[in-house]
Amino acid sequence: MDFYAFIIENKEILKILYGLIISIICFFIVLRTDRMFRLSLHQGIRYFRNAFFFYGLGFLARYIFGTPLLTSYFNSNYFLVTKIFLEFFLTMAGFFLLYSLVWKKFEISGENYFSSLLNPPILIFYLLAIMIISLDNLWGGYFFMFSSQIIIFLFASAISIVNYTKNGSRHKFLKFYFLAMILSLIAWILNSLAALLTEWDQIILINISGINIILFLLFLFGVIYVTRVK
Amino acid sequence: MGKKRERLEVIKDILESVRASRNIKPTRLLYASNLSPQMFKEYVNELITKGFIKLEVDNNDKKNFLITKKGNDFLQEYKVIENFIENFGL
Repeated sequence: MDFYAFIIENKEILKILYGLIISIICFFIVLRTDRMFRLSLHQGIRYFRNAFFFYGLGFLARYIFGTPLLTSYFNSNYFLVTKIFLEFFLTMAGFFLLYSLVWKKFEISGENYFSSLLNPPILIFYLLAIMIISLDNLWGGYFFMFSSQIIIFLFASAISIVNYTKNGSRHKFLKFYFLAMILSLIAWILNSLAALLTEWDQIILINISGINIILFLLFLFGVIYVTRVK
Repeated sequence: MGKKRERLEVIKDILESVRASRNIKPTRLLYASNLSPQMFKEYVNELITKGFIKLEVDNNDKKNFLITKKGNDFLQEYKVIENFIENFGL
């Protein structure tokens, strides 16, 4: 049987597996980085941890709680709620990931907010995320989320290539970080194309899932490789 | 003029000074830390609050800083954390 045909035939069960794999990767990254944050109270680690916390929740919301195996038991409002949560979590995750790269420009070094989920800079993200979700629900679709994520990952790619050219020879993972940002950008562009031009073409969606697995594994590899005890 | 030390690096330097001396008087630690008295006070208060060091007062009312287990753990993990921050551009 053709590879794509096999995946399309078993897509509902494979989606659950896919959601579980990415959620578990995120859970591991959150655990590892949370330990480092608690020791160092470094804000960059804190925001990086939050990004994967939200990615984990986003994938759980979409692929576990939002699976048709479950949504078919509930009314249409249930699907709408999982869609809203998916958008909110993924948008917040993107904001946190970008902010983890630029927080030093906005916060005074040594300033420690009591909560990384409720502090003035983050409240702006919540506001933006709510606006994006509201606009998408008003228009119907994901246009505003896709656009915001493409902009976020354009910036993140630019910052990570600057980091790589500056310090890439000393810190090997910077090139993989840049690669992960480029893969994220490609995944979001493909997502937009699949939604806006092809009405969710299954082959494109399978390729996006493949890219997502690669980039989350890349982050997992980075966290394990960089934090291993020598 | 040398590069301004990062907050994490200052904390590591203070903890290493306390660990090297096993117990150290506040004035000696201030000199070793190479910070202004105001900044020194802020860092030391933060380290005490986080439980990385503790201040002991002996019978003669003399004050000494001691490193705690959490402080020692931090020093062991410092390299790993520093490596992580630099490799992820945080």
